[in-house]
Amino acid sequence: MSLLEVEELRTGYGALPVLQGISFAVEEGTTAVVFGLNGAGKTTTINCLAGLLPVWGGEVRFDGQRLSGRSAKAIVEAGLSLAPEGRRVWAGLSVLKNLELGAWSRKDRRGTEETMQQVFGYFPRLEERKDQLAGTLSGGEQQMLAIGRAIMSRPRLLMIDEASLGLSPKLAQTVFEVVSKINDNGTTVIIVEQNVGVLPYADQALIMEKGTLTYDGSGSELERSGELRRTYLGEAVAS
Amino acid sequence: MSAEVLALDVVAPAVSGFIQGSVYGLLGLGLVLLYKSNRIFNFAQAEFGGVAAFVWIFFDTGRGVLPNLPTPVAVLLGILAAVLVALLTERLVVRPLFNAPKITVVVATAGVLLLLIAVEGFLYGGEAGSFPAIFSGDAVNSGAIRVTNQGVAIVVVLAVLSILAALFFSRSPFGTAILAVSQEATAARLVGISVERISALTWGIAGFLAGVAGILLAGTIGLAAPGSLTGLALVPAFTAAVFGGVTSLPGALVGGIVIGIIESEAQALIPKENLPGAGKVALFVALLLVLLVRPAGLLGKET
Ligand SMILES: Nc1ncnc2c1ncn2[C@@H]1O[C@H](COP(=O)(O)OP(=O)(O)OP(=O)(O)O)[C@@H](O)[C@H]1O
Ligand SMILES: [Mg+2]
Repeated sequence: MSLLEVEELRTGYGALPVLQGISFAVEEGTTAVVFGLNGAGKTTTINCLAGLLPVWGGEVRFDGQRLSGRSAKAIVEAGLSLAPEGRRVWAGLSVLKNLELGAWSRKDRRGTEETMQQVFGYFPRLEERKDQLAGTLSGGEQQMLAIGRAIMSRPRLLMIDEASLGLSPKLAQTVFEVVSKINDNGTTVIIVEQNVGVLPYADQALIMEKGTLTYDGSGSELERSGELRRTYLGEAVAS
Repeated sequence: MSAEVLALDVVAPAVSGFIQGSVYGLLGLGLVLLYKSNRIFNFAQAEFGGVAAFVWIFFDTGRGVLPNLPTPVAVLLGILAAVLVALLTERLVVRPLFNAPKITVVVATAGVLLLLIAVEGFLYGGEAGSFPAIFSGDAVNSGAIRVTNQGVAIVVVLAVLSILAALFFSRSPFGTAILAVSQEATAARLVGISVERISALTWGIAGFLAGVAGILLAGTIGLAAPGSLTGLALVPAFTAAVFGGVTSLPGALVGGIVIGIIESEAQALIPKENLPGAGKVALFVALLLVLLVRPAGLLGKET
């Protein structure tokens, strides 16, 4: 059984449908990367999985447990967390408070403290700036904070939307490396990305187009197939 | 006129303005809290305090079929009533309008205000009566300067509540969660904070603050009539909130005191023949000045 199973998932905004029924599965312990042009429905998919958007149809199962239709709160308690598009850190709260609130769904104080140390291990910059207001962090630091906050709930599945958006190539690489470390420590990862620099870290790659999935395969196969070039550059698939 | 008398002419209204302003500050604090969490202005805020005041005297005097209870119990019931009305407003009016335009919610709170005044009129009757002060007697009475025990109580209550509020928002998880919901509700939902429950908590706190302020103010002015608290205190409380920048909690308290002093000084120093109602005019001028010169408020930062 896969950790995450999505079947014929449909959702949208108001009366406007966006996801036309997409199906995929993610295995425990792997990293899946979702590619796709702007407006393809990546954020819609991942927000729907996190409980921010209602499920119109289809089913989501997490570790065999049905998640579709449950609240964002129930979903994070079940072990699935999201670093959302646009980071959405609490600008008027300190870095430390942002991280503490990330653990809202947990009751174990000592475990929370351990996770905090782990986050500081991944992102030493956050520890140096732990008393600074999140709104005064640089964009890259805010991204680290958003990821750190998502880790604080100690998820089994961590989802990151636009991990490298607005980051320098070097910092993007650093973020990818940290994500790969998080993955090595046993957390399953789904990452939405436009930067192909993430491919070496991807066990699985998904490509979305106009609310549907057009590719679902291994990351290394994708690198060879030319499917990415077709999606992003509109070139014919080289055979 | 000797310098001494002049000083007293200025000092005496400053003292009473400080006391009156403390009540504005408490109401302003509630307004800011609700503004931060719902991005709305609550027209019913002062009247939540009116409800508290009426429930308090109904039980204090054993009106109609109600039992005649000891004053502290009656006061507590009054505050509870304000909390209850605030929670009902949240549940029945604000939450169903969660996705409506903010202006709709603001108008709805004005509807709540009208409803509360109507209910007060129905229960109390149209004619004006009087509220007793909870604390009688004077703490200071030196001829020119007089400070009532009620006045001292108001300042002490304000001081205690501001310290509690500061601790609540800086230390307690629920205080931090209220701030988180007000800054980024989506992120709050993602970490598992129930935005609905936080909204109820915020309204409950605003109702509590209004209840305390309403009972203290009603006892100070003495006048009891449906809607009188709104007439007396809503605009000053709003001005207090704007003074502080509408999103700053300490700003509302400081703003309330500043407003109270301005109102009271204008009332005392400008002769009635020249400008009747000088206190309220001064408030209005102060509000305009702040909006023109420092629209972000005196403290001007979200805290
Ligand atoms: N709040 C909304 N209301 C209405 N339509 C929306 C809303 N958010 C997204 N959409 C629409 O849904 C479609 C998918 O958007 P989505 O944000 O999921 O794309 P995306 O793949 O994440 O794109 P990007 O790479 O630009 O982030 C788009 O056509 C978009 O216009
Ligand atoms: Mg997106």
